[in-house]
Amino acid sequence: MQPRRPPPPAPGPPRPAAPLLALPLLLLAVQGAAAPTGPEAAEWRPDTGPPHGLLRQAARAALHFLNFRAGSPSALRVLAAVQEGRARINAKKECTVDLVFTTEHYNSEEGEERLGKCSARVFFRNQKPRPAVNVTCARLMEKTKRQQEDYRLYKQMKQLRNPLDGVSIPDSHGHIDPSLRPVWELAFLGSSYVMWEKTTRFLHYYMAQLSGVKQWETNDGAIDFDYTVLLHEFSTQEIIPCRIHLVWSPGKPLTVKYHCQELLAPEDASGTEEGSAVAPTELSNF
Amino acid sequence: MQGTHGGGVGPGLSPVDRRTLLVCSFILAAALGQMNFTGDQVLRVLAKNEKELSLLKELEGLKPQKVDFWRGPARPSLPVDMRVPFSELTDVKAYLGSHGLAYSIMIKDVQVLLDEEREAMAKSRRLERSTNSFSYSSYHTLEEIYSWIDNFVTEHSDIVSKIRIGHSFENRSILVLKFSTGGSQRGAIWIDTGIHSREWITHATGIWTAKKIVSEYGKDRSLTNILNAMDIFMEIVTNPDGFAFTHSMNRLWRKNKSTRPGSFCIGVDLNRNWKSGFGGNGSNNNPCSETYRGPSPQSEPEVAAIVDFITAHGNIKALISIHSYSQMLMYPYGHSLEPVSNQKELSKLAKDAVRALSEVHGIQYIYGSISTTLYVASGITVDWAYDNGIKYSFSFELRDTGHYGFLLPASQIIPTAQETWMAIRTIMEHTQNHPY
Repeated sequence: MQPRRPPPPAPGPPRPAAPLLALPLLLLAVQGAAAPTGPEAAEWRPDTGPPHGLLRQAARAALHFLNFRAGSPSALRVLAAVQEGRARINAKKECTVDLVFTTEHYNSEEGEERLGKCSARVFFRNQKPRPAVNVTCARLMEKTKRQQEDYRLYKQMKQLRNPLDGVSIPDSHGHIDPSLRPVWELAFLGSSYVMWEKTTRFLHYYMAQLSGVKQWETNDGAIDFDYTVLLHEFSTQEIIPCRIHLVWSPGKPLTVKYHCQELLAPEDASGTEEGSAVAPTELSNF
Repeated sequence: MQGTHGGGVGPGLSPVDRRTLLVCSFILAAALGQMNFTGDQVLRVLAKNEKELSLLKELEGLKPQKVDFWRGPARPSLPVDMRVPFSELTDVKAYLGSHGLAYSIMIKDVQVLLDEEREAMAKSRRLERSTNSFSYSSYHTLEEIYSWIDNFVTEHSDIVSKIRIGHSFENRSILVLKFSTGGSQRGAIWIDTGIHSREWITHATGIWTAKKIVSEYGKDRSLTNILNAMDIFMEIVTNPDGFAFTHSMNRLWRKNKSTRPGSFCIGVDLNRNWKSGFGGNGSNNNPCSETYRGPSPQSEPEVAAIVDFITAHGNIKALISIHSYSQMLMYPYGHSLEPVSNQKELSKLAKDAVRALSEVHGIQYIYGSISTTLYVASGITVDWAYDNGIKYSFSFELRDTGHYGFLLPASQIIPTAQETWMAIRTIMEHTQNHPY
């Protein structure tokens, strides 16, 4: 599998390996997802392996879930490369994927090459969204540093005035003003929940653009954030507008409510999807 | 239905557009009638209720005229913008103050603004006269690209010419650049960018590549050999209507702008409208879908123009269709999982091209057939090309892998174009070395 960045040039000190700490599994009791039952009907032969697309699909689902549960806008991860994986499909066309992949920081700076390794089991119910995810990752950022970064982001957000109305992030030319980066990252955090919920065996999402941001005051100082995000669903190429409302405070659970326009509304129908969630209390050793 | 990007104020002109329009008309007036707006200010007043609104309307009715409304008093809670001549400023501000009407100064000196705008427009006109000062690291409008094409052809008329192969649904010209060092009906390579209008990085890459080709001729041995034996055709804005729309209304528009009776949805996915596997699972019958295939194969003028051109030419040996995003290099088929007959050769060529690409900036691409690498897609360009005898048909998906997606920052234009060039060059070399 291809790493996202090339290995460093041959002579030179070896790159420090990201230690695979023995972390307890992030427990993920996702409502409504049953473990696969019945005999596993099909398994890819070891020599051919599962379709590469399926492994990437599982990695994306796992990452959206991971990002949301971590609840930390400064510690968001993206897929670097899938390293290995296997999959099984049962008679009900439910698909279980086990995989190992590497990740890097969403907001990685030039030259930064920490590749946090993750292992995951993802269970896709046939054509249904909300895949069940069990994922463990090596820590990519020291906990105190992460807390500091989150707090810094929180302060930056608090300083933003509300003429964010009508601002698109990024703009048409892909530019994000540095003062608006925290907005983008917080929006990506909230969108991760939405994208995880909507992911199926065949559908996957990216956050294309952010518009219509409104920030509200809360009594306890939390960031209360109302925005519209345009999600890009890849296999249908559709753009899905979603209205998302999130409440976040560093170190506290993230709450997300959302309301998306239905994928490809037929001409005479209308529909919306709604969902909401609260992340669990932060796991102290993540 | 369609996600429209934020920023615009529904139908009609946004405040910024309106202001620009007014400013431009002032420039015209100033140029023609030598009007002077020095010291004039534009004030914005928010009338909170009907009473305040009528106070503003009274201002409007005063003779001689004291203010010039840019955005007139309409309803409470809508801002009212008025240009106040310098001589009236004291009086008008006193009027507003005495009636408790809060105002803000939107433009401190209209003349200064006009001067700045005039200077900027003149500057960009000066720049446009040469393709050396055209910015290859920015995204451009349709007009700017077409203007660049004319300059480019003029500057390199020994190698480059412009061909109009047809017109779009909204009657825009469809232009192709021909790179040729002579001969007649030589074997040729076809490159298209921008078939999906929101994929802005592709047009930008096409423009840079065109410039690269003329720069490298006579310098780079490989490219010189290629052009001494073959022609290159490049269509930079394959979907001009869609592209104009991404600038004016919806940055994430994908399709063309054709309409049909019975549906209020607009546009056909030009990369599902080709006559190969048309109508299969990898396209959609719903006009509102982003992958709507159109009523029939080649129904769209943008597709028909290319089909007619390539068919009439009869000697195209390679076809490269450039998209974004995903970082992939792929070959047919999209409509079927069945491998094409020379799959092994195409796979090896793709592998070599992707390796050459990655050596530039370390960016990793995946390669394979479209159906197994990306998704099943029916009625696509490269399937049609392959079925019509063009053995080396490839489809690129350029940067990135989803971080910015279609909104790839302009700072990545040149690195993307540089690496893509190495892959294109690899494909062209192979085509030239394997005549058929």
